Amino acid sequence: MYVQIEGLDFSYEKNEPVIQGVSFSMQEGEIVAVLGSSGSGKSTLLRLLSGLEVPNEGKIMIDEKMLCNRQQFVSCEKRNVGMVFQDYALFPHMNVEKNIAFGLKGYSKDAKKKRIETMLKLVNMVEKQHAYPHELSGGQQQRIALARALAPEPSILLLDEPFSNLDADLKMRIRQELRTIMKQTQMTSIFVTHDYDDAKAIADRIVFLENGQIKYEETL
Amino acid sequence: MRFLAVIKPRLHIFSIISIIASLLIILPLLQIVFGLFTPASDAWIHIRTHLLRGYLFNTMILIIAVAILSTSIGLFTAFVVTRFEFKGRQLLSWTLILPLAIPSYIAAYIYVDMMSYTGTFSRFFRAIFNAEHGINIMNMPGAILLFSLTLYPYVYMFSKSALEKQSASYEENARLLGAYKFRIFWRVILPLLRPALVAGTLLVVLETLNDYGVVEYLNIRVFSFAIFDAWFRLGDTAAAIRLSGVLMLVVFVIIFIERVLRGKKRYYMHVKNRPIKRVSLRGFRRVVYPGVLLLILSFGFLFPVLQLLYYARLTFFDVMNMAFVYLVINSVSIALMATLIIVFLAVMLANFGRKHDHILKRGLLKITNLGYAIPGAVIAIAVMLFFIDIDHRLYPIYRFFNPETRRLILTSSLLMLLFAYVLRFMAIGFNAIEAAYDKIGMKFTEASYSLKQTKLKTLLKVDVPLIQGGLVTAFIIVFIDVIKELPLTLILRPTNYDTLASSVYRYAREEMIQESAVPSLVIIVIASILIYWLTHRKKKVVSKDVRTN
Ligand SMILES: Nc1ncnc2c1ncn2[C@@H]1O[C@H](COP(=O)(O)OP(=O)(O)OP(=O)(O)O)[C@@H](O)[C@H]1O
Ligand SMILES: [Mg+2]
Repeated sequence: MYVQIEGLDFSYEKNEPVIQGVSFSMQEGEIVAVLGSSGSGKSTLLRLLSGLEVPNEGKIMIDEKMLCNRQQFVSCEKRNVGMVFQDYALFPHMNVEKNIAFGLKGYSKDAKKKRIETMLKLVNMVEKQHAYPHELSGGQQQRIALARALAPEPSILLLDEPFSNLDADLKMRIRQELRTIMKQTQMTSIFVTHDYDDAKAIADRIVFLENGQIKYEETL
Repeated sequence: MRFLAVIKPRLHIFSIISIIASLLIILPLLQIVFGLFTPASDAWIHIRTHLLRGYLFNTMILIIAVAILSTSIGLFTAFVVTRFEFKGRQLLSWTLILPLAIPSYIAAYIYVDMMSYTGTFSRFFRAIFNAEHGINIMNMPGAILLFSLTLYPYVYMFSKSALEKQSASYEENARLLGAYKFRIFWRVILPLLRPALVAGTLLVVLETLNDYGVVEYLNIRVFSFAIFDAWFRLGDTAAAIRLSGVLMLVVFVIIFIERVLRGKKRYYMHVKNRPIKRVSLRGFRRVVYPGVLLLILSFGFLFPVLQLLYYARLTFFDVMNMAFVYLVINSVSIALMATLIIVFLAVMLANFGRKHDHILKRGLLKITNLGYAIPGAVIAIAVMLFFIDIDHRLYPIYRFFNPETRRLILTSSLLMLLFAYVLRFMAIGFNAIEAAYDKIGMKFTEASYSLKQTKLKTLLKVDVPLIQGGLVTAFIIVFIDVIKELPLTLILRPTNYDTLASSVYRYAREEMIQESAVPSLVIIVIASILIYWLTHRKKKVVSKDVRTN
């Protein structure tokens, strides 16, 4: 299995558990939707996978690399996990090009330029290369956030409610586009949503999260 | 093993710097606490039975009166400037902050001079009213007026920014509900303003407690006076420590009262902000309101500065020499050093405290920021004892390198003063930077980590550009505070090391007020320029649009 998660437990400070005994695995290139109501722990689960939070218990393994278990913990910046945030978090002081280039560590100048071009083409935003985030519409920002996360070729892509800031019309269009892009790049992805239709439109499999526990799964 | 796995990702060079800085700040303060348990000396028994009540009484009267008066002035000026439209409003709205550029002790020296029998004011009054005497302000009412006139800008700034943020809809709703103007002020505007008012007033009170220059010159027997008196005149450190302990108790009571008064956290208003339209002043008010503001500004800033300018002209060539140039360079460079250290550590600490993931961490940060609440007299003792202690411990090492060495190396160095500045003003820098961090939240930083950037690179390329505004604010206000600072500078500076503040003090002690004008003005000009910068700098477009929609 490409992604293996076992017995993940987590709580903020010492309050009640937010994630309890979450286990699941994924194949390479699979797209999994995590569906759950508000406060069920979806964002928290993504934060655990990305290394932004340290679990109390449990194992995370991606692409045969042990990222977290009782003995070791690989921090976020060393995990090679791509993330698209709920409100995109595009750096407001950098233009589109700089935002995408930001994660390209160890690329030569030319390689960087090429990679940016490829990414912009992929999300169909070539003409906005020099725009600043505040000059983009919500849908455009979302696409740039996706390009930025994909650029460094992460081993897995995590998306936190990628459609929450878009109106219904735009959402329909982008949903299809997103699936196309993810399939095109064969990116293993987990995306979080509270909308069953979104999940159905994009994912290969849906995981239902309730009170921090996986209730059941549905393969589409 | 599990412990290591959890701790290690959090233990980073930034956190380590933060923890060390916190401990260094906490240790000297602990020294005061331990000092409280040494056996009582005769001097202490004397102080406790005969003097302590007087100190307490005077201190209470002073801070209560200053709090009331400066809050009234600050609230009134802020209200007029934000709610009414009149000629010169723009100019007044920032010049009303300028009294902050005048250290209270300089105001005291110059006002006592102006009010004395031969002083400018007295002559003026004699000419008009035929009055016989000068006006004696070397008493409690004089001190209250002086502190209020120089410290009200704290209340003014806090209230002004809160009033500007208040949405028109509250007032309109209240009016729709049939409330009268007066009622609206008491029932709607004031309660919404309370957190800002309380915060501003707290700063005024803490500054008043911190002061030594004014109360010494006017001979007002309050705590900081008492501490220095016990320490230097009676030579009884133990008694001084005990007095410090009592003063800290007073401060904690004040902070507790502040917490209660402020109520729940700030009133966050998610109402779409429709700014209130300023009302044009009509009739007699058109003259009276701006006139009162101008009067406040005149007494708080213009009169003292004009008098200083006049004296500076008389004494310029006596005072101005190479030694004076060095003095200015000394002051500016130590202030710059202290400020840069503070801003750097504040960034580290604010970064460290951004994720409140441990109670211990929160406690550590709270104590680290206690410095601003602790009066200079107390910090001076604490830091001095701390450094003497370190020197004694390091003495064998000094001896190893140089058998003829003095005992007190660090204690006689500039490091001690720098350390004290950092301890005292850390909170100011920290708060400005923390506020900036609060505004941007965690998301950009986390996005950077998820793009495989190290903590250092994230700090430099993401955090710092985004909190730039907070960095500049922190720099300006800390620098102003350091360059004005007197009690710590007086006591902890190395022998023969003078700053602008300490030279003003020395001239005043020798009744050479005219000669003190030039160094005083240098402080005031530097602080005024910084205030101008603070109020006029352009907000970068970037920070405006941090919240991408
Ligand atoms: N930083 C935090 N500190 C303490 N508790 C938190 C924190 N973040 C989230 N929680 C709590 O953890 C639980 C799960 O939150 P999480 O954000 O993971 O939910 P979610 O499923 O993403 O919800 P939403 O759909 O509203 O985004 C909630 O009860 C929330 O109150
Ligand atoms: Mg969420």
